[in-house]
Amino acid sequence: MKKKRRLPKGWNYILLLIVCLAAVGGIVSHNYQEKQKQEKQLNELKKNAVKGVKDLDGKKIGVQIGTTGDIYASDYEGDDAGTVIERYNKGTDAIQALKNGKINCVIIDEQPAKAYTEKDSTLQILKEEFALEDYAVCIDKSNTELKEKINEALAKLKEDGTLQDIIDNYIGEDSVKGTKPYKAKDIKRNGVLKMATNASFKPYEYYENNEITGIDVDMMQAVCDELGMELKVEDMEFDSIIPAVVSGKDDVGAAGMTVTKDRLKNIDFTDSYTTAKQVIITVNPEASVTTSSFAERFHDNFIKDHRYQYIVKGLQNTLLITVFAVLFGILFGFVIAVIRTGHDKNGDFPILNAFCRIYLTVMRGTPAVVQLLIFYYIILVSVDNKILVAITAFGLNSAAYVAEVVRSGIMSVDAGQFEAGRSLGLSYAQTMLSIIMPQAFKNTLPALCNEFISLLKETSISGYIALVDLTKAGDIIRSNTYDAFMPLIAVALIYLVIVMILTAGVHVLERRLRSNER
Amino acid sequence: MSDKEVLIQVENLEKSFGDHQVIKGISTTISRGDVVAVIGPSGCGKSTFLRSMNCLEEPTGGRITFEGTDITDEDVDINLVREKIGMVFQQFNLFPNMTVKENIMLAPVKRKKMTKEEAAVKADELLQRIGLADKADTYPAMLSGGQKQRIAIARALAMNPDVMLFDEPTSALDPEMVGEVLALIKELAAEGMTMVIVTHEMGFAKEVANRVLFLSDGLIQEENDPVELFEHPKNARLQDFLSKVL
Repeated sequence: MKKKRRLPKGWNYILLLIVCLAAVGGIVSHNYQEKQKQEKQLNELKKNAVKGVKDLDGKKIGVQIGTTGDIYASDYEGDDAGTVIERYNKGTDAIQALKNGKINCVIIDEQPAKAYTEKDSTLQILKEEFALEDYAVCIDKSNTELKEKINEALAKLKEDGTLQDIIDNYIGEDSVKGTKPYKAKDIKRNGVLKMATNASFKPYEYYENNEITGIDVDMMQAVCDELGMELKVEDMEFDSIIPAVVSGKDDVGAAGMTVTKDRLKNIDFTDSYTTAKQVIITVNPEASVTTSSFAERFHDNFIKDHRYQYIVKGLQNTLLITVFAVLFGILFGFVIAVIRTGHDKNGDFPILNAFCRIYLTVMRGTPAVVQLLIFYYIILVSVDNKILVAITAFGLNSAAYVAEVVRSGIMSVDAGQFEAGRSLGLSYAQTMLSIIMPQAFKNTLPALCNEFISLLKETSISGYIALVDLTKAGDIIRSNTYDAFMPLIAVALIYLVIVMILTAGVHVLERRLRSNER
Repeated sequence: MSDKEVLIQVENLEKSFGDHQVIKGISTTISRGDVVAVIGPSGCGKSTFLRSMNCLEEPTGGRITFEGTDITDEDVDINLVREKIGMVFQQFNLFPNMTVKENIMLAPVKRKKMTKEEAAVKADELLQRIGLADKADTYPAMLSGGQKQRIAIARALAMNPDVMLFDEPTSALDPEMVGEVLALIKELAAEGMTMVIVTHEMGFAKEVANRVLFLSDGLIQEENDPVELFEHPKNARLQDFLSKVL
């Protein structure tokens, strides 16, 4: 065999270094150019800013999907003036879109709106409010007993002033703000109350120091103290909260929710615990551009409040899900492949083969994210461990692809190998395991590696079931810092490094397995 | 000849692939110690006939009895039968992912005929015997065709078979390597191993076989001892075939 010219050893590390440098360079130059760009953009934004409720016609309005802001704003949709409603998964995404000039205003609850505008002088809340509304806790229609209990608890909390204290602690006058933190009572607890929420809705629910906190969380904690139950908070997309409560995944939903006609069709509400306003956020006409340095931004995104811990935890979960889903996928995929080839070669297992074919068709014919949601909300409703659900869903999905890869690998092994094994007296299973499979595995290694790389990246949809994986971790930081660039680039780089390590590992394995072929 | 123990009894064997009938009714007997050469034009069904004897090709008609067992019966454990019938292929079919020694040891160990240690001793003995003891730890890809085929023979012998089937064992070899393989087969014959050999080497067939079958059109056209068959062929097709190959 001719000697091939090889890149020097460690070339991939050099390549990685180049990518990292490019990213850092990108951040720096991004930072540098940003000021000029922002000034230009800001002037543009000021020109198109919404000045009042009457001014909404014909504008692009951003809302958080499924919120009352969304419901009210939808009345404007499709009017003669050509008003457009853009729906975002998170309030923060809508704010970012506003700052990037993709929309003209955001309609959102007053308190989170305050939280957004406090941190960002380029934005303002219009004095004219959009709508008034009551917040209540949602609960499944069949669960009247719990509803009554919560209503009683709420009435008591209102009467003894606890509820007002909780609210004042977050949004009261400056003199009382932060002075009355609610402390969970030290009592004996029977049973768990699971609360679904969307933790990017400051000050009602948000992440601080890696924990979900806020008015709704404290209020529910107080309710649980009254009921003698333990509170468990689960973070998810806003429009997943009602399905989660209806399916029984969670007992109640508390996320600054207003009672609306549409919602009442599917779900029941407790008595209201507070009132709030829907307001309009627009660009502040007096705003000027302020940018922070690279170091400041890095500090804000990763060091401050130990935010890097989101990334660490997310990475852990991503790796955990990927590793076990891969193992599951290989195991199950090989079994399917053996059944399928057994059928192709000598017509064995016709019924199993039919099942396998249906399985492959379904798994390869539907998007992974839909499968994940189906597993979480329908098939594995009773399973509490989200990582387990994710491993199952991704493992079963991957198995379908692995099966076809391995099947082609088995088919590529010379038929003579099979005959030689059988002629020596080995059974079908022995021949498969000792002779065909090792060769098939070697032949399919590059394709398998490919499958695992895509699996690793596919786990980034875990956020859909409110699992904090690497991508979701970046999202959480983004929703806290309103900086899209830093968390996204950091997350992307981490994925890249893992894939490169994986590729290098498979390369070594492949070379070792090929050593007997020369 | 008739007082020798019968190993394989073939009765009215038929084999079709779809509509195409390859073997149209063959009957013959292989007795212990027989060395039977099977010759004939290509496509006449020689290989199919041979592969039927260990059920690598499932017969579509007739019966094959091995040591008193009807091997075409579905209830017979074919793996136990195959343990006693060694087979050597035209393309060697060594396992490329195993060393030479592992190739030889695999079946005896997996079929629980020997312990690992016993199989290793047996493999060393066989390698010694075929003069390739130094290749024990190399992989098949490093060997010449002749060496590969000798190891394939050793691999079949490791199971201590009662009969050996050879399917054109020298057809895939470069001419200079044919000799070493034929010499080994001859040695086995001299030791009294029962063998059925499909071959194109007429000289070899004449020298080593005690009986020759001439197949054509899926039937045995002539069956005789080699001297008679090669020197006084009676069948017209055999005469024609010999005139072309000799």
